[in-house]
Amino acid sequence: MSYRDELGRELARAGIGGRLRRRIVAEISDHLSCDPNADLGPAQDLARRFADELGTVRARRAAYAGFAALAVAGSLVVAVFAATGQAQIALPKVHAPSQLLFDLGMALTALGGQIAMAAGVLAALRALRRRDAQVVARDEAIVMRRRTAVALLAGLVCMSGVALIASEANHAVGWWRTFGLASSAAGACAIVAALIPLSSALEVLPIAGGPRGDMFDDFGWLTPPPLRGRPWIVALLLSGGIVVILAAAGIVQGDPYDGALRGVLDGLACVAGFALLGSYLGLRPTRA
Amino acid sequence: MRAETLKGHLDGLILAVLETEPAHGYAIIERLKQRSGGALALPEGTVYPALHRLEAAGLLSSSWSDGSRRRRVYRLTRSGRRELAGRRGEWKAFANVMEAVLA
Repeated sequence: MSYRDELGRELARAGIGGRLRRRIVAEISDHLSCDPNADLGPAQDLARRFADELGTVRARRAAYAGFAALAVAGSLVVAVFAATGQAQIALPKVHAPSQLLFDLGMALTALGGQIAMAAGVLAALRALRRRDAQVVARDEAIVMRRRTAVALLAGLVCMSGVALIASEANHAVGWWRTFGLASSAAGACAIVAALIPLSSALEVLPIAGGPRGDMFDDFGWLTPPPLRGRPWIVALLLSGGIVVILAAAGIVQGDPYDGALRGVLDGLACVAGFALLGSYLGLRPTRA
Repeated sequence: MRAETLKGHLDGLILAVLETEPAHGYAIIERLKQRSGGALALPEGTVYPALHRLEAAGLLSSSWSDGSRRRRVYRLTRSGRRELAGRRGEWKAFANVMEAVLA
């Protein structure tokens, strides 16, 4: 079997296929035609090196691109809601043709926005923390890809929620509805653009072994030593903090009942999110 | 020079040899050998993954050449030039310190 054929086979075994594999094989073939005695090392090692280095840099790039897209989309959402004052709209008390769809829009915006922000920050944090690593472990790259994918998906859910709110708030002034719809479309476009580097990251995964890391690796320096290694305690404290902050905000705004209700709901959502996604997103120290 | 000694410097070396003009993989390796007077005998298998990685990081761009032979030609991007300048500065500072200590 020629080196070229062997390399093609090993690249496939390393999970590198399609156009990327054809390109690598073409480049190495060209190199061997220039120097038939070139020492490229065993084909298996070369294939693994490609997988390790490309899988690492692509996962990191996807995380950065995802975070940038979500920052753009998030700014647009904030602008839409900030403009409700000028448009004299008192969300969430709006007469909509379908109150159910309007409420669904509000729920999607709140839930999607929070998940997108949390997962996007976690993905970027991991990429930033491992910015100098030439190769990260396979499980670490999986965590980065999952966080980015969840963040972008939740971002799209959030954008669809904003679009639903804008389309259902037909008593609102025209410019605000247009602004809301245009912003949700622009935000969705930014998120879709970030799916390109993510799909590129999905093409190749490092092979190198190693721990996948957890929340304490990502921002352990922020965690007081007694809480390290206790993810559930951290999640419960964080949820409790959210309850207190939102309840306090309700008191300041003169509606303590509403503030307490939103606080409890948000706190419960935080605990539920941690229970459902904590392991998947590499927050809890279990297998990827 | 041992490959271990070059560890961590390969990216900077690749960026440096592409500074003047674009080149394909084999030519990059040859330039590294020539410019080092043969001292940099890199394991050739390390160069191609590094080229792909640097491209994925936005420091290089590449395209197939139009000549009779189909070759992937790499060139520095603007980010790559900035990165090279940064690495040069770091290297000079490091070399000065080592020189001061070892000399």
